[in-house]
Amino acid sequence: MAEEHKTHEQIAANNPLTKLWIPGSAISRRQALKLGGMLTAGSVLIACGGGDEEPTPTTSSSNGSSSDSGSSGGSGSAATPGATETPSQATGTPKRGGILRYGLSTDPSNFEPHVSTGAASGAVKLMVYSTLLTYDANGQLIGDLAEEFGWVDDTTFEVKLRKGVTFHNGDELTPEDVVFTFERIMHPDTAASIAGRLVALERVEAGDGNTVRFHLSTPLATLPYILAMNPSMIVSKKWIESGVDPKTTMMGTGPFKFVERKPGVSIELVRNENYFISDLPYLDGITFIPMPDDNARVTALRTGTVDFIDYVPYTQMDALAQQDGIVLQTDKVLGFGWLGFVHDQAPGNDLRVRQAFAYALDREKMVQIAFNGHGAPITGGLIPEGWVGYSPDLEGTYDVDYEKAKSLLQEAGLSGLTVDMLTTSTYSVIQRPAIAAQAELKNAGIEANLIQEEWLTFRQSVQDAKYPVHVWGTAPDFNDPDFLTDYIGSSGSFAKQFHFSDERLDQLLTEGRQTTDESLRHEIYHEVEKRVLEILPWVYLIRREQGEAMAEYVKGYTHLAAGSWSQITLREAWLDK
Amino acid sequence: MTQYLARRGIYLLVQLLVVATVVFMLLRLVPGDPARAILGDTATEEQVARVRHQLGLDQPIYRQYVSWMADVLRGDLGTSITSGRPVATDVRDRLGNSLELIVLATALSLIIGLPLGIIAGLRANRLPDFVLSAAAMLGLSLPGFVVGTVLLLIFALRLRWLPQTQFVEWSEDPAGHFKLVILPVLTLAASTVAVIMRMTRSSMLEVVRQDYIKLARAKGLSERTVILRHALRNAINPVVSVVGLELATLLGGTVIVETIFGWPGLSSLLIAGVRARDYPVVQGVVLLIAVLTILINIAVDIAYAVLDPRIRVS
Repeated sequence: MAEEHKTHEQIAANNPLTKLWIPGSAISRRQALKLGGMLTAGSVLIACGGGDEEPTPTTSSSNGSSSDSGSSGGSGSAATPGATETPSQATGTPKRGGILRYGLSTDPSNFEPHVSTGAASGAVKLMVYSTLLTYDANGQLIGDLAEEFGWVDDTTFEVKLRKGVTFHNGDELTPEDVVFTFERIMHPDTAASIAGRLVALERVEAGDGNTVRFHLSTPLATLPYILAMNPSMIVSKKWIESGVDPKTTMMGTGPFKFVERKPGVSIELVRNENYFISDLPYLDGITFIPMPDDNARVTALRTGTVDFIDYVPYTQMDALAQQDGIVLQTDKVLGFGWLGFVHDQAPGNDLRVRQAFAYALDREKMVQIAFNGHGAPITGGLIPEGWVGYSPDLEGTYDVDYEKAKSLLQEAGLSGLTVDMLTTSTYSVIQRPAIAAQAELKNAGIEANLIQEEWLTFRQSVQDAKYPVHVWGTAPDFNDPDFLTDYIGSSGSFAKQFHFSDERLDQLLTEGRQTTDESLRHEIYHEVEKRVLEILPWVYLIRREQGEAMAEYVKGYTHLAAGSWSQITLREAWLDK
Repeated sequence: MTQYLARRGIYLLVQLLVVATVVFMLLRLVPGDPARAILGDTATEEQVARVRHQLGLDQPIYRQYVSWMADVLRGDLGTSITSGRPVATDVRDRLGNSLELIVLATALSLIIGLPLGIIAGLRANRLPDFVLSAAAMLGLSLPGFVVGTVLLLIFALRLRWLPQTQFVEWSEDPAGHFKLVILPVLTLAASTVAVIMRMTRSSMLEVVRQDYIKLARAKGLSERTVILRHALRNAINPVVSVVGLELATLLGGTVIVETIFGWPGLSSLLIAGVRARDYPVVQGVVLLIAVLTILINIAVDIAYAVLDPRIRVS
């Protein structure tokens, strides 16, 4: 029996990310840099002193530690039957060679490095480009192109680049390329995905000795996470300025070089012999094969025509976990769903109504109905265990209570409420919780007419506040509670669609973003979570399980419950056959 | 004939103009913003506005229409908003793959459907007819995603005869390509066979009751000659129009099969285009499908005349 399936709640639970923060004022620049380096040293892919150190195949150690903490995993892991086996995936010495055939859930629309076009294309681009920072197999922030990094003061972040990194065309990576990259990102014409997060970024300048400095107008504690996000990949100034179209081709400093794309057929990458981490990658290449049909993708893995698939459908998780020779790696930390309101319209403008919705949902049952148990309820705060601001004391704030929901509605004078509830029919991970919620709401006497629209139509309808209630789902972009700003901070793109703003929350979120002291940040985000549950800008539904499946002989890969499901550890994959 | 073709040529242009205009307008009536599709969930309003401007979507619709039309008339289908590739290149690459599926599926359907239809027609309301008609009902009523998935489960997963591998061109690996084409063609043919069979059956049924068939038999002609030369020849026209219709339907309607079997055809390009509101791609593909549909209709008209000398193309 090879029932191997790890949830990475454990990894998130042990996530020491927060230890990164260096209180800027008390430490000199040199100390800070050193500390930055030290902090990365605990991780696997350290590259101090020129990056010649032999990289250790990572997942054995990380898996070991994560499985040790087994049952201490995150919220509601009990909801997943048969999903807690210890992975045995990284044992042995990595072997060189072989092509990994990767069944990709979406044919990427394009390769533009600075505009995010979904997780699938992100996985491809991340194998060709590099970011300044990235995550190790524990989900811990480490240097990628950065040899050292750290805060010089509250508003200055310095990155020292690895020496001798070359682009795939042979050109050496220079600080100017990094400066150019961020100028490109900040240029309005690029419409870069992370530009909105970097409004505090005043300028980026090349310093001496292969360093780059980020100067901020106000402190931005999340900057290192932003630098590790997929859409902050470093590009070659010369290459971009030569007039290439980065939508159709790729050229970076990553572990693999772009060879060819046949639209709808394949994307072929080949090993970068000069990758800055010696020995990596172990594979000769990766061929991404778009397989948008869930059944076909799973079948292709089961029949061995691909070695690896992403976006395992929850309907197939049990079957795959039970099949010999196949390993499943998932998390129930990141993906979550919510029920949103239009805050300046009835009935969502009444707190009692929003509370009634929050009480009216038996989320355990919803996990079963929507995802066959492959998920977890969210009855308290959203920030997962192990993150700054995780608030276990809030668990159960909105345990199901149909009677309370009914009486709240009665108080609001809305007994027997009938309401239009919008969702999208395009993504079942959003649609199914909506269907489950509709059934639950009935128990509290709320009649929700479910309106299901195709994705972009849905987006437009939410934007136009066409319906008072909607059900949506997504995942945070990085492992820092500041991701909440996008949803509940009045400047956030989602908050604007909810027509929501709250001064107290804005104040707390700003403080959180500008504070580098870990325990202080913890307090702040605990307050945020409490405030959210008090005033309910949105009602949390359930988390969903998501991850990859691969043949047993694919070793070295670790599913990260970190930042947008970063698949950076794919560079460490090798084939044991 | 020449006159006919010339006239149809003019019709074709008019029809294309209408199709192009309707598609252009309809697309812009559909809610959903291409800029938002490109930029993802977290795009700011300013970014969306900026990209709309870059794409020229902030221009009045009539101006967008005129400039697109001018490009099309010059033979330029534009560039995909999402992929950055020229629409013409994408369409050309995919068209061949689609046509291959469609032509093979239709040919297979004719090979199977025609004889079975004849048998069912000749043995109407007897056992062979019941069996074949029941099978045809099944083929017609099973949706493509069921047939495709079941075939996949049987031949790829259970028997492992036809594993689902990466798509390869005919020119690169004929054997590998052939293996890949079997299941999608069978899936498509499942319903087309049924359509052709049923049409052949009812058409035959009508014809064999005619007096001239009785006369042919009375003259002592062999059954084979009666059926093939006299009956089938007269029964075939409705079948030809059905085949024409099926071909046209399949042109834009193979999306399920393409998705299940990872076949890079025209339909999946169209659907991806619609999903992302990639206006140039959708417009380009629809125009092409319109051209082909009209050409198929012309071909069907000509085929009538060839098969039945009483009919003249006019």
